[in-house]
Amino acid sequence: MKSNKFNLPDNNGFFGEFGGKFVPETLMYALEELENTYNELKDREDFQKEFYSDLSNFVGRPSPLYFAERLSNHYGSGSIWLKREDLNHTGAHKINNTVGQILLAKHMGKKRIIAETGAGQHGVATATVAARLGLECHIYMGAEDVKRQSLNVYRIKLLGAEVHAVDSGTATLKDALNEALRDWVTNVDDTYYIIGSVTGPHPYPMIVRDFNSVVGQELIHQSKDSFNSMPDAIVACVGGGSNAMGIFYPFIDIPETRLIGVEAGGNGISTGEHAAPLNDGTPGVLHGARSYLMQDESGQIMDTKSVSAGLDYPGVGPEHSWLKDIGRAEYVAVNDDEALKAFHEVTELEGIMPALETAHAFAYLGPLMKELPDTANVVVNVSGRGDKDINTVAEIDGIKF
Amino acid sequence: MNRLTTTLNNLKDNNQKALVAYLVAGDPDLDSTLDLMHLFVESGVDIIEIGVPFTDPIAEGPTIQKAHDRALKNNISLKMIFDLVVEFRKINDQTPIVLMGYLNTFISHIDLVESTSIIDSILVVDIPGELSLKDYGITNPNINTISLISPTTTDNRVELIAKNSTGFIYYVNLRGVTGSSNLNIDEIKNNIQKIKKHSDLPTLAGFGIKSANDAKMLAECSDGVIIGSSIVEMINESSNSKEFARIGEYLKEIKQAIS
Ligand SMILES: Cc1ncc(COP(=O)(O)O)c(C=O)c1O
Repeated sequence: MKSNKFNLPDNNGFFGEFGGKFVPETLMYALEELENTYNELKDREDFQKEFYSDLSNFVGRPSPLYFAERLSNHYGSGSIWLKREDLNHTGAHKINNTVGQILLAKHMGKKRIIAETGAGQHGVATATVAARLGLECHIYMGAEDVKRQSLNVYRIKLLGAEVHAVDSGTATLKDALNEALRDWVTNVDDTYYIIGSVTGPHPYPMIVRDFNSVVGQELIHQSKDSFNSMPDAIVACVGGGSNAMGIFYPFIDIPETRLIGVEAGGNGISTGEHAAPLNDGTPGVLHGARSYLMQDESGQIMDTKSVSAGLDYPGVGPEHSWLKDIGRAEYVAVNDDEALKAFHEVTELEGIMPALETAHAFAYLGPLMKELPDTANVVVNVSGRGDKDINTVAEIDGIKF
Repeated sequence: MNRLTTTLNNLKDNNQKALVAYLVAGDPDLDSTLDLMHLFVESGVDIIEIGVPFTDPIAEGPTIQKAHDRALKNNISLKMIFDLVVEFRKINDQTPIVLMGYLNTFISHIDLVESTSIIDSILVVDIPGELSLKDYGITNPNINTISLISPTTTDNRVELIAKNSTGFIYYVNLRGVTGSSNLNIDEIKNNIQKIKKHSDLPTLAGFGIKSANDAKMLAECSDGVIIGSSIVEMINESSNSKEFARIGEYLKEIKQAIS
């Protein structure tokens, strides 16, 4: 996998002061085993061949770079391009990571797969690759998310995986992650944990980034072919940060491209009811890594609020915290109502229904296109499609089926 | 020498095994926690381990998770736990107190931790054992580093961790969270013997110990036992009546079994 001059994390899994391995001792050997396996395989020709072959034949890569003509006209200046991760098999970027990690699991001889999921997209993507290899699969999902993403819950079950609804804490993504970690501690010998974002202890943030960075690598070529230069800006939503990291990473040492991550502003940053740790959080340790967090002054993790289950998480991948602190990427927030408006707008103008997570990235085009010149090329990472969110949107619009 | 080392040395000199009892501060309320701490000592407990509630306790099973949730409903903070120990110390200045919790709560209150002389050790569940509290800015000489070693710890890590520990070594009996019940005595025996090759510190066994018989078997291959979930369960069952005497009886029975 291509690396660039920002060759992080270091040997201890740190991106500057962020990252690391803050886990119970029982998991240390499993993380070491994973790291050794990954380091041994990642540059091996047969592994690369298998990974890229699966990406093209099973996932359907490369995903197109599509010119959004009506959306561009709508904003009146600049050109808006869409990196179509929504067209991947299972409908989101999440499959890039699970296709890669299941190869690691296979190589390590693990018989049992576990994962956490928020919006259910990572649960679907994990259940999909597990089904393909005939492996036992357990998906942990907050009870709250089981309700709002019922379509994906059913998809996961159809794929033969078991869904465990998690009631503890806030019954959302962070609690699903807690429960997946507890499962892993208990069944560590035969179980592979496929984390769904660039979060968790080292080496996960690195592995998930590397598998997703195929998105950014394709974009470099597609940009040359489509508009003969590098993008002026790339916009991606940030929950844990995997779709953003995947498209940002190959551009870190291309300084002319602005990297903009959009967090979930919920009811508004000033209300405190949001899920935007990079905008309104402080560094702390959660789920195995040091990163920006939403926490109170006692170090307790705060409840989050977002209309989008996939962004409803109080932490963020450590590499984003680092990119923020060194000033290489910008992080903004978009509120629920703005994201919902963008959801409808993109659906009506382009015939593309984005996931509510992705709608956050679209919603930032308003302010962004105003400040850019007419010649600007802006790429939005369309992290996923919106079918899974139809129930949520209908409910907000007061429609009953 | 602090209370922890003194207590462990005395036990060793008298050929006794240590009994460590765990509860979560503020479950069901701080007054009960104080009463329970004194009851523990009256019932033969040598070391008290106080769980510091955290919103995301990844190493805990359902019993202790729920206790953390109940304590958090009472808004228990580390500051309140230090105040609780001040009260306890007015009557008892000997029994060592270990705080067990998660890194984020301790680093949020580094000033409290750095200046204390009433707490004897901090056991952080989510820091890798080859690092010590110093690596996280906790340099207070009164505070021992208790490290965890588990069934999956590789031999070279056992050596590193043993070198870094100061109070005692906490051997995690099983692959799993607190409150699980799949003790494999042969594996535990073997692993504790391995630890002993690298360290003279006492090695105590915790996780999964429920009955007096469990405690007896484990005390035979270690320097003491740590009991958590079954006490927390009993505390919960008595949380309305505040009749905790049964817990005292239980602890006496355990103490008897390991003596
Ligand atoms: C379509 C889509 N986009 C984005 C996300 C957020 O995750 P990440 O920030 O890791 O890309 C999710 C998570 O469920 C998702 O389903």
